[in-house]
Amino acid sequence: MAKSVKKPAKPARASKSAGTTARKADSGRRGSATATAISRSKLERVRVPSAGRRDDATEGKYVYCVIRSEQPLSFGPLGLGAEPSEVYTVHYRDIAAVVSNTPIVVQDPTRENVLRHQQVNETVMQKHTVIPMSFGTVFKTNDDIMELLRSAYDAFSDVLKKMQEKFEFGLKVLWDRDHIVREIEEEDEDIRRLKGEISTQKGSTYFARMQYGRLIDAALQARSERYVAEIFDALRSVSVASRSNKPIGDRMIMNAAFLVSRDMEQAFDARVKEIGQQYDKLTFKYTGPWPPYNFVNIRLKLERAH
Amino acid sequence: MAVERAPGGTSLIDVLDRVLDKGIVIDAWVRVSLVGIDLITVEARVVVASIDTYLKYSEAVGQVAPISRPGAVSELPSSPDLTAENESLRAQLAARKRRKRRTTEE
Repeated sequence: MAKSVKKPAKPARASKSAGTTARKADSGRRGSATATAISRSKLERVRVPSAGRRDDATEGKYVYCVIRSEQPLSFGPLGLGAEPSEVYTVHYRDIAAVVSNTPIVVQDPTRENVLRHQQVNETVMQKHTVIPMSFGTVFKTNDDIMELLRSAYDAFSDVLKKMQEKFEFGLKVLWDRDHIVREIEEEDEDIRRLKGEISTQKGSTYFARMQYGRLIDAALQARSERYVAEIFDALRSVSVASRSNKPIGDRMIMNAAFLVSRDMEQAFDARVKEIGQQYDKLTFKYTGPWPPYNFVNIRLKLERAH
Repeated sequence: MAVERAPGGTSLIDVLDRVLDKGIVIDAWVRVSLVGIDLITVEARVVVASIDTYLKYSEAVGQVAPISRPGAVSELPSSPDLTAENESLRAQLAARKRRKRRTTEE
């Protein structure tokens, strides 16, 4: 019971005291399994008579991201939940988790929640390098979060260094397939001839149509690869790294993310716009800045302690 | 075509594309199981299963192999092992949950 749990300043509520005691007992439970069993029964005795349910419901911590900071920070009432709660930091050495209080429930990835998660990251990102947390991670206490930061300290610290002063930008490229098919038909003599045959031929056009389809597919493929390669090449000098995700739907030919240093942001922006001018038949969906979601993957798991 | 940059939060699809399984990911069973959360302090420690940062410029890849190459394959630990582990952990969690419910409802 040595440790007490730091709580963010909040208007005291009468019903809270019992819950807080329970929580303190809770954090005292760390340690060996036998100690756990004993204090656990104590804990539950405390919790039952209190109006504990509701108190419990205010005590989880939703985690948005990990940043480097030794100073306690506060980002305003942006947190996820029915009434926006204060977003603040929980520290371990020189790194910190950005969190807000939340009920201990599984947060559904609703539009509202997901956008709130992103909004907090965007706000934090303005002044800090972030390692974003995937959606929906709730911890019970500050101690749990400190334990997380402690256990993965080296990983977080290393990745924070690598991502320092870098943002992600998204670039999706779409085309109008029918338009490109018409272009290909105009440019490619074989395809044009086949199309002519199909429209004038009497009798079965089965084989001609098959061949036409194959040629069109191959030409579309080649063209999309060419565009994508050219676009990647054009952005190479203004970005640190890139990743190519699977295109979504049949209009999309490129679904990429670029990692860009803060000092290259304007150059990157200008280059994307140039590309947009150059490929006037393609549609570009350009988004950002994002936290470097596509460039960091830290998978954590829990292992039984001995 | 004039290209305008849209801030991250404007397209739900773009957000979902990122936040659901990228960044720091704690294996799903912890997140979906409320009881699992206190496992962190009680009986489990956090272990870094893998760290991947992608700092290379991926070569352009077309629709044939649309997923980027560097490290993509090593990203996932072997799934049969994980599945088995998940199964056993779920069973433990369910047991704990039952025990807990019994004690709290007394």
